[in-house]
Amino acid sequence: MKKYLITLLFLFGTGVLLPGQSMDKQVSNCVMNTGSGAKYLKDFRVQLGEAPNPVDLRYRANISLWKNTKYRFTMCNYDESKGKLILSIKDEMNNVVLSSFDQKTGKIFPSIDFICNKTGIYQLNYDFINGQQGSGVGVVSMLK
Amino acid sequence: MKGRILFLSLLILFECLSCRNSANKSGSFVFPEADSVPIGEAEKLSSEAIADISRNIASPVEIANLLQIINVPFSPDYLASSLDPNKQVTAFGKALSLGILGADLGFLNIYEKTGSSINILSSIGKLAEGISVGQFFNFEAIKRLSLNKSNLDSLLFLSVDSYSQIDKYLRDNDRGHLSALMIIGVWIEGQYLATQVVKQYPDKRLKERIGEQKIILNDLILLATPFCDRDKEFNELCKNLLEIKEKYKDIRITYTLGDPLSVEKDGALVITQTESSNVEMTEDQLSGVIEIISRIRNKLILSN
Repeated sequence: MKKYLITLLFLFGTGVLLPGQSMDKQVSNCVMNTGSGAKYLKDFRVQLGEAPNPVDLRYRANISLWKNTKYRFTMCNYDESKGKLILSIKDEMNNVVLSSFDQKTGKIFPSIDFICNKTGIYQLNYDFINGQQGSGVGVVSMLK
Repeated sequence: MKGRILFLSLLILFECLSCRNSANKSGSFVFPEADSVPIGEAEKLSSEAIADISRNIASPVEIANLLQIINVPFSPDYLASSLDPNKQVTAFGKALSLGILGADLGFLNIYEKTGSSINILSSIGKLAEGISVGQFFNFEAIKRLSLNKSNLDSLLFLSVDSYSQIDKYLRDNDRGHLSALMIIGVWIEGQYLATQVVKQYPDKRLKERIGEQKIILNDLILLATPFCDRDKEFNELCKNLLEIKEKYKDIRITYTLGDPLSVEKDGALVITQTESSNVEMTEDQLSGVIEIISRIRNKLILSN
């Protein structure tokens, strides 16, 4: 009996029984690493399986971005991710405004600063590179 | 054998507890009938559509940040200090007030007037309990971070996260009308803040930000519309939103085209948008917006 209780306390104490808290911790770690002067605005928690035929970025969400504001988009990958999280932003006319993945060089930027001069609703598109399986978080912050 | 059964029972119990929010409050999850929206009504806007609208509302943090950029000093006069959570008797009043005070909390956080935020935090806690979502508001952690001024980002994250969880929970549990009220409350208070400040500090960027709200207003009306016939209070709020829309009718937003410029600086990517939006708004139109926002917001904090 005693050994079961000890096992239970161990699992509880190490966080094995608290998956929600563990994810929150990874999100808050990402928030804390957006750099000095960046103020947290929103986060997008992305969890995707492997894409059978990767074409478009799969996780989509709308966000309003405001003129005269400098935003920072930070992408963090959780330990269990196979691919790296990437972001592409489109405007209302479906034009790509920015991408964290440079197709020419293959370079992936973990964060991008965006000086917004056009207020509007933008579409954030997240995925893991080459449609790989992964989980991570995209944090939107604001710079003064 | 008995030990094994007890172990498994405790394991299941802890698993169930761990699936819930980490906040340590244990509020009831049973809601009064009157708080529920008929399924057909809630379906008029999908949960995801409401979530999108919620994300589109300019965060009060963004407005407060703009005020700091234009060197507007902090003033407690802009806050809804007269709002008494104990006088909120309906779920309508509680949810709307939760939004209004959420915007004030964002304002206080950005200005790091965190000592003053304790009263607001306490009111927010009461209002959240009042609509049975207190378990999502991590009062103690936010209070601790407020008093310890060292980590603004943690404070902003925890405050926004608490509101996001409340919002999601309400939407997922057929109480989308309360989520809509919270979002509308945040927007009205953010607008009140901006319009009161612009009277004293007529900065071009602030005027533009007020004019640009025309983009969001239609979404807000869309959000409220499924619930307009729900009761007298909601009906009145819908009329108020239409009055605001009327004041925005002749304000124009134009666009200038351009391609984004990318620069790699110290390994980081910086994109500057050359395309721009421009607000065409006369002083009379701005005065009309200031007046209507002030009248509606003051009525809401007094009557609710």
